[in-house]
Amino acid sequence: MLNNKKDNLSDKELVSGSRKLGFLNNQISYLILVIVIIAVVASVINPNFLTLRNFLNVMQQISILGILTMCMSLLMISGGLDISIGNMAGLIAIIFARMLLAGISIFLGVIVALALGIFLGFINGVIIAKSKVTPLIITLGMSYVFLGIALIVGGGRPQTITGQFSFLGEAKIGGVVPVSIVIFFVIFLFAFFLRKYTKYGRRLNAIGGNSQAAFLSGINVDWHVISIYTLSGLIVGFTSLILVSRLGMVRADSGSDYALQALAAAIIGGITFEGGRGSLVGAFFGVVLLGFIYNAMNIIGVNSYVQTIVLGAIIVVATVISQLGVGRLRR
Amino acid sequence: MENQSSEKQIILEVKNIYMEFPGVKALTDFSFNLYNGEVHALIGENGAGKSTFIKVLSGAKIPNSGEIIIGREKHNSLTPHQARRLGIQTVYQEDILVPSITAAENIFLGVESSNSKKAFINYKQIFTEAKELAKLIGIKLKVDEIYERLSPSDQQFVKILKALAQKPKVLILDEPTQAFNKNDIGLVIEMVKKISQEGVGVIYIAHDLEEIIEVADRVTVLRDGVKINTHDKKTDIFDPNSLAKEMIGRSVDLFYKKKESSVGDYVFEVQGLKLTPKSTPVSFKVREGEILGVAGLKGSGRSEIARAIFGALRKYEGKIFYKGKDITPNSPIQAVRSGIALLTESKKIDGLFMGQPVSHNITAVGLDNIGRFFLNLNKEKRYSGDFVKKLNIKTPSLEREVKFLSGGNQQKVVIAKWLFKGINVLIVDEPTHGIDVNAKTEVYELFTELAASGKSIIMISSEMPELISLSDRIIVVRNFEISRELLKDEINEENILSGFMGGK
Repeated sequence: MLNNKKDNLSDKELVSGSRKLGFLNNQISYLILVIVIIAVVASVINPNFLTLRNFLNVMQQISILGILTMCMSLLMISGGLDISIGNMAGLIAIIFARMLLAGISIFLGVIVALALGIFLGFINGVIIAKSKVTPLIITLGMSYVFLGIALIVGGGRPQTITGQFSFLGEAKIGGVVPVSIVIFFVIFLFAFFLRKYTKYGRRLNAIGGNSQAAFLSGINVDWHVISIYTLSGLIVGFTSLILVSRLGMVRADSGSDYALQALAAAIIGGITFEGGRGSLVGAFFGVVLLGFIYNAMNIIGVNSYVQTIVLGAIIVVATVISQLGVGRLRR
Repeated sequence: MENQSSEKQIILEVKNIYMEFPGVKALTDFSFNLYNGEVHALIGENGAGKSTFIKVLSGAKIPNSGEIIIGREKHNSLTPHQARRLGIQTVYQEDILVPSITAAENIFLGVESSNSKKAFINYKQIFTEAKELAKLIGIKLKVDEIYERLSPSDQQFVKILKALAQKPKVLILDEPTQAFNKNDIGLVIEMVKKISQEGVGVIYIAHDLEEIIEVADRVTVLRDGVKINTHDKKTDIFDPNSLAKEMIGRSVDLFYKKKESSVGDYVFEVQGLKLTPKSTPVSFKVREGEILGVAGLKGSGRSEIARAIFGALRKYEGKIFYKGKDITPNSPIQAVRSGIALLTESKKIDGLFMGQPVSHNITAVGLDNIGRFFLNLNKEKRYSGDFVKKLNIKTPSLEREVKFLSGGNQQKVVIAKWLFKGINVLIVDEPTHGIDVNAKTEVYELFTELAASGKSIIMISSEMPELISLSDRIIVVRNFEISRELLKDEINEENILSGFMGGK
């Protein structure tokens, strides 16, 4: 009888799940619900949680992760993935810092950093598009390559440039809203519109959904794959500037943790490994949820080791839930 | 397989099954029985309730009410485990086996035998057992071959053998001949008859009425979840036309009557197409507004030739012309730009974006029509809505993911995808494979209309009635070359068949 109930439920969900009402589909409403619950619980324990200052603080903390999550989401929607974006950001950040320390102008440094991002993303894209090897393996390998080069460039030592380049990380518009939050929002909106309202985005979506059908529909699959990795590289290059600016001191592994966290945020937000599914609005809320959980744990005073465990557990739970959803639709 | 007494007895009885999904009555008061040693066919249009019924029997779906009686046991519903324990085995068309191990290993995977208790596999023993099993039902199969290297039809045999290895009392075959071409379907029919002679009760689902008539002892017709009739071969004469009439509730001609329209000049030309250095060059021309039928057995090279023309398969040599202009495409990108469309045989694999809405699928190729860089989503809605209406695509909304549509409606979405783009030459490969009679007629009407509007259609098909009634001209392909060309007044089944065999 228990079985009976389950079956009926899945059929109902099958029908309703496919009849999405606008962009507010199930997963996003759940995310918002969870965020609200966390906010309520945390503010009961510590009233400082629900202040504008803390909110802006959270958003600033997640802005780098948020931007990288947008990259990861666009890649995943097109059926790809890039585990190397974290170390790519680290590598570019180290090179940028070295350049500033060597007395090269900020302007030239920024140009080089962006060009480097485009170049590294392009390399990933070409290898993946031409070899057809699963992106996970390629970008995992490239991730170590980037880390190694970053260690060589920095001589294994942290590069400190305190005060030389702090605008992107620290400046506040009107003394209130940090610039990095604005950049995060701009990139989120850019990714959202690109995916939903452009031919390019629609074709990425098609390739992610069924690359064979996309090929036979006359879509230039290789070009789209290479270009989206390249675009992602450009955004990573830009992100590494924010990273340098915020930290004031970069190490080779400064970006390492971001790749998997961005992957986690995207999955929490409803983006799937299958490709062609999920929405950037979901990914956005996925990042916000991660940020709120971290912040809430900090404010409540959870031990930082325990925080790591919680983050890991959230990734597992979110992936399992997302996979269950896919499995249910497949049946 | 247990050799039971020759006396017929009911081994499975289903009484008054009701099954409702939100908004749909999938089965209404459905009763059904099955004797041992008989082949009982279920026919009906897509969505008539056949799949729901076999899912109830295999435990994948729980009916709202009703009884299932097997042997002495009476159940209101089954779990997959119970179904297997009671001896019900189902072979689904889309079943997936382990691709990287041998056929024999797949067959005995998960079978309770002396073998499975040991940690090591005795390959010799399972190869012998698999061979014996195959021999028993009269098929030849390389049991020691890796599964993924087998032909689609041999893979289907492996699936059936796997079910038989469980020694079932009831064997459910869901469109077992999908992977076969018309001429090899006889093999399946022979096999199914042998299986039933061993005392197994077979429930057989297929679309082809000729096939059903040949294989079945009894036929039950379903329409909209209601049983219309059960015919018995002993007392009834099976007649395809009257069965079709029962299925769709009105009379239907298996031979579509095409409205003739005028045919223009030659516009599309394939010149000296060679896939390999050694192959004989293929050349043919198609007129404006003409439907050129391409007949040929599976493996004759007809699908490969189509893919090569479209640029999806490398060609060694050859040129393609449209209205005198060299448009030889090296990739589908160029083919699409020149207005060539290819509807492949396997629409699920390479025609549709299954997880995406109907509207997105329709506009996938012709995105240029709804924007230069940014998409005009309102236009998309309007245009795709027009196509849904025009092609009579049955879907609750434009947002519906294509995977939830029936086979016939999916095919119409693929056609809409190309029509939306706007095309000159349409190459279709088995356009009505696996879709029901009603949808078939609609597809034929569409092709006729398209041809009348001046498009050239190249139609690859294994269905004789389809080739004969639609084609203005037919070329027969054999061994990657054109073995025969039939003009309108030469088109008949005999001539086509002789082309298959290489006769002139």
